[in-house]
Amino acid sequence: MAYKPQYYSGTTSVGVNRRKHMSGDLEKLRDISDADIVTIMGHRAPGSDYPSTHPPLAEMGEPDCPIRQLVEPTPGAAAGDRIRYSQFTDSMYNAPSIPYFRSYWGAINCRGCDPGTLSGRQIIEARERDIEQYTKVQMDSEMTDPALATMRGCTVHGHSLRLDEDGMMFDMLSRTELGSDGNVYYVKDQVGIPLDAKVNAGKPMSEAETSKRTTIFRCDNISFGGPCTAEKRTLDEGLITLHHMWERRSKWGFRPE
Amino acid sequence: MVTKSDTKPVQIEIFPRRFLKPATAQRLLDEIYRSGGILRITIQGPNLPKTVPYGPGKGIPIEENMNMLLELGDQALELRVKVGRIWLELESEDRIEGVKAVCERMLPFPFSIKKKQIFRTKPTVSDYAKYGSEVEDKRILGLVDPKAMKERDLAILSDTGGDS
Repeated sequence: MAYKPQYYSGTTSVGVNRRKHMSGDLEKLRDISDADIVTIMGHRAPGSDYPSTHPPLAEMGEPDCPIRQLVEPTPGAAAGDRIRYSQFTDSMYNAPSIPYFRSYWGAINCRGCDPGTLSGRQIIEARERDIEQYTKVQMDSEMTDPALATMRGCTVHGHSLRLDEDGMMFDMLSRTELGSDGNVYYVKDQVGIPLDAKVNAGKPMSEAETSKRTTIFRCDNISFGGPCTAEKRTLDEGLITLHHMWERRSKWGFRPE
Repeated sequence: MVTKSDTKPVQIEIFPRRFLKPATAQRLLDEIYRSGGILRITIQGPNLPKTVPYGPGKGIPIEENMNMLLELGDQALELRVKVGRIWLELESEDRIEGVKAVCERMLPFPFSIKKKQIFRTKPTVSDYAKYGSEVEDKRILGLVDPKAMKERDLAILSDTGGDS
């Protein structure tokens, strides 16, 4: 029988969603054009050539190396692209993908990338044409709700703050706005430089939908072990696994000689 | 506005579940102010910078954060934060119900009101550095900004070097 990765334990909807994100088996909800993604990322003008840091690998004459023969370079690496990044801030108010699960998704599903997880934001670095493709997958799929997840290269504050009146995540640079047609528009790129034309990022999810699609455990939605006020809490299998890993790691790490 | 009263003042915090837009904050504060009995008002929330503070876009003006004014009575002040909490000092505990009624009328989402000690009663180090050990008007305690910058916050009206 072929091996099938299990990725994550737990029977709650949060566990199911975490497995979906890690496996890359994501539902596509919208289609943002490549040019729009490039515009929001702000590293190059849409349609312009990719600047490079070295000649294409085919022209460089690589050394005789078994690993290089074994591993096929990504399109960006083969062309000698620069390393570029995209960074997302996801609200703790039931954003679909909390930072660690963007990283798991990146590490498992994206070749040649370097995911970095921070408390309220998540960055993925890769060769330019690769990161553009990875960013498109994130923005088009259920990993992103345009109201609760924004591409923010700097001044990322917002993950743990209350939402605005209109349900948008707080952004001190006002990179996104809720249009009168109900769509969320990027009016600035990820570092806060105003765009020539607004970019439509799609409609925000309803509260019911974000509660269903989120990967964050919350007491007011799906909690680790039932209501916080319950006399006896039954912990989700995901948390039991986490405790198990933590215990083993602590014990193995503790080696008094 | 300072109101003299025989009753003991109370301090309360209004904590809405969502951040308030400037227009909502203006309407809410207007109503609270009109209900009377206010000794002090402070608005707290995350900073809204006027320019991009970091990164490749550093220094670019943020138009959305410009020219936001709050008008209360005959005073106007520039709104520099997203309104997240409103701290009030009321002349007596009886006024709390009125504030609660205003919030229920004006805010389209849940909120909480808590009574607690909010404003400072003792001088901070910054207060001491500015005013010395004796501060007559206790209402200004805690209002000194230690991060104030000379270039931004100091207006030099004369370059003659004073009277000496």
